[in-house]
Amino acid sequence: MTQTMPTQQPPHTAANAQPAAPTIAVRKSCNPDGIGLSHYVLMDKKAAK
Amino acid sequence: MTAAALSRTAAGPALISMDIGHDAYAAVTDPNTAFWALVDKNRVDEALADGPLFDRYREKADTFARELHALRFGLKPSGVYLNPTERCNLNCTYCYLPDTQRSGGSHMPTEMLLASLGQLRDYFRSVMPEGRKPRAIFHGAEPLMNKTAVFAAINEFADDFTFGLQTNGTLLDAAAVEFLTARNVSIGLSLDGPVAGITDATRRTWGGKSVHGKVLAAMDKLKGYGSWSVITTCTTENLPFLTQMVELFHAREVPTCMLNAVRCTLPGARDVKPADGDMAQAFTQALDRTHELYRETGRKLLVANFANILIAILAPTARRLMCDISPCGGGRAFFALAADGNLYPCSEFIGLPRFNGGNLLATGGVEAALASAAFRPVIERDVDKFAPCADCAIRHFCGSPCPAEAHEMNGGMGMIGAFCEFYKEQVSYALRLIADGKANDYLWDGWDEDTETTFDLGC
Repeated sequence: MTQTMPTQQPPHTAANAQPAAPTIAVRKSCNPDGIGLSHYVLMDKKAAK
Repeated sequence: MTAAALSRTAAGPALISMDIGHDAYAAVTDPNTAFWALVDKNRVDEALADGPLFDRYREKADTFARELHALRFGLKPSGVYLNPTERCNLNCTYCYLPDTQRSGGSHMPTEMLLASLGQLRDYFRSVMPEGRKPRAIFHGAEPLMNKTAVFAAINEFADDFTFGLQTNGTLLDAAAVEFLTARNVSIGLSLDGPVAGITDATRRTWGGKSVHGKVLAAMDKLKGYGSWSVITTCTTENLPFLTQMVELFHAREVPTCMLNAVRCTLPGARDVKPADGDMAQAFTQALDRTHELYRETGRKLLVANFANILIAILAPTARRLMCDISPCGGGRAFFALAADGNLYPCSEFIGLPRFNGGNLLATGGVEAALASAAFRPVIERDVDKFAPCADCAIRHFCGSPCPAEAHEMNGGMGMIGAFCEFYKEQVSYALRLIADGKANDYLWDGWDEDTETTFDLGC
């Protein structure tokens, strides 16, 4: 008698398990020079006209 | 550090979880340091326990705590809002300035404005590093109602300040545009609807006339200029049209806009206050549309108030606005000069006499105002100290703005602002963008050029 794989259920392997989402954590830092306003007006671009 | 902050730091770092509505990710944050991570939503418990993430974070927790503390409590003012007149030619329903001032108020005389800027220049030189210019923003009522004084001041102090002008746009004729753009003055306009019928619901002249067409004409004059923006104040009247709003801005090549939830400081504004959920839905749909337009055309329309939330998450010290932080920037990073020469923590307080910190040209000037009993409640408003903010995972991405509306609408400085749930949704939306690798699409190119990466896990 030969052994057969059941066809109704796929084998539970690492290949088709729900992959874990990789952890994401990023933080950047700078001297807080650019801050200071409450009502935003773009202050740091040179006029293009 | 404050006693509350010291107590929290002494307890050691701890992470709490937050559902952000993403298919794969949940957030964990340490609110005390504004640290965050996105983790597999099916393995949140592992992320909260000791493990690689927590170990890496523990190494940095003290540094992040000091960084946030310096940002919240260690800054000196570097900007001033100048109100050169009490008058406005419009009668917007939600304005934070009393209508008696706007209809029959006074202009600041040119000599007084020039003397004030001289005093302010000397103050900023005493607190700012050499080589950095303070920012001076001419602001509402309508500054161009007193154009002679404003332009004289810009000419006289061109070497001492970086100037900006927030205007309703109706008086921005070709000569004014030529003057301002030749001096690289940053210009902000206001428009509340994609069509006149919507704009007119909140922004009209005292006689009830529409100004929609005039603002569009001003936008046409500014097309191609490098430094301009348009503010839309979001109310019940225009909320269903925010997506059309950003389509109009993008089509007219507006580089930057703000979709500001109406400030509810004065009662008139509360009549058109949207519900939090409605505000969040319309706002995020408009953000989605800006992204579609960017993908279709390769040209960004930045929504600056949302970009600031994103940056507050990615790089807390790189944020540009100081409303969404606690204490807010009022009386701390900037202050406001009213047309009568008195100082207030922010323009938002000019209609509230108890927040008058004294006259700029009187003995003590700025220093006296910053130390005054009038400024102190604003400077000391701290989300670490009152409920429900003290236990909120995102309190240092939000700051529970604004103290003026918390005080006037909700009954005190120890109360939340007007749009708590809206801010939670903005932060969740921002974290979903980070999870999906899209955050840079919502930020100006090169936003992080002057930053260094201090934590990086995954990606």
